[in-house]
Amino acid sequence: MQKIALFEVLLTLCAACLLAQNPSGASAAPGSPLHVTHVLGFESVSNNANGELSIQQHMLQFKKSDGSTAQINVDSIQTLSLGVEDKQVGGTAAAVGRAATPYGGGRLISLFSHKKYDTLTVEYLDANGGFHGAVFQMNKGQGQVLKDGLAAEGAHVTNLETTKPKALEARNEGN
Amino acid sequence: MKAIRQIHAAVFVVAFLATLLALPPRLLAQSWSVQVDKVEPGDVEIEPAFRIAIYENLLVELAKTKQFIQVFRDGDHNASGPEVLVLKTTVQKYTPGSETRRAVTTVSGATKINVRTQLYGREGKVVLERAVDGNVRFFGGNLRATHNLARNVAEALKKSDLPAPALAAR
Repeated sequence: MQKIALFEVLLTLCAACLLAQNPSGASAAPGSPLHVTHVLGFESVSNNANGELSIQQHMLQFKKSDGSTAQINVDSIQTLSLGVEDKQVGGTAAAVGRAATPYGGGRLISLFSHKKYDTLTVEYLDANGGFHGAVFQMNKGQGQVLKDGLAAEGAHVTNLETTKPKALEARNEGN
Repeated sequence: MKAIRQIHAAVFVVAFLATLLALPPRLLAQSWSVQVDKVEPGDVEIEPAFRIAIYENLLVELAKTKQFIQVFRDGDHNASGPEVLVLKTTVQKYTPGSETRRAVTTVSGATKINVRTQLYGREGKVVLERAVDGNVRFFGGNLRATHNLARNVAEALKKSDLPAPALAAR
């Protein structure tokens, strides 16, 4: 019985490691649509929606998998900033699976089943002058491609230093 | 029979008036609109994604409470008039966490945010001030702390007694 449980843990561990790989890489050509997750804030798009983000005719356009689109003018963008986020892969289903794994195997799996993502934060104004902020999550390396594309279109880009969370933690603990 | 009906009607009117009197904070709050200002990082270094997530979540959570007539964004031209309060949020503490550390250790890796939230009247007078926390300790991504924080801010405002618009303007 114990051997079976151990085998299950090892099998799940292998699957998690494979999931954590990033075969798509960061080799997106400038201007081509990028597969991203809309975390929050972009027009009327629902949170955590998957879709394609592209720059078309001076507009930043998010096209959901169901075909509906939302877009803003590049000129309305006030600031663009890039960050890095380390997340567990697999979402809620995987989290439940890890929690249910016996003998603390879930913790071991968690150690390997994480992946780094780029987060692109877009700050823009609407027609009424109202301030909006949108956060997109994408594969590592793609954020810079998009940021460069928007900068080439004339978007106001603030060159914020991409600060790693550990460095922030150390600095803020001093406060 | 007619007298009994009149008594019933009188009791109903008294009960209705008593109910109205028992709900003054909510009724008063519904006479306000609120404009949510951009989140100020203060002396704390906080990632732009977190700052924006706090702002956007505040707009959603404040609208959900139905405490205000309208919830305006920072800079919105329509946000004018004496009935518009301004909500200013300043980050006081921020501890970036790690989802992986939380999943592996359970006891460490929490993301913690503490903000000072202030409601200003149009005259620039502080109507309400609170310190509010938002954390994520176990499940979920780091940005969930901003959602919890916004929900706590909205709850704190809902529980508070806002003055009548005429009194706040003085």
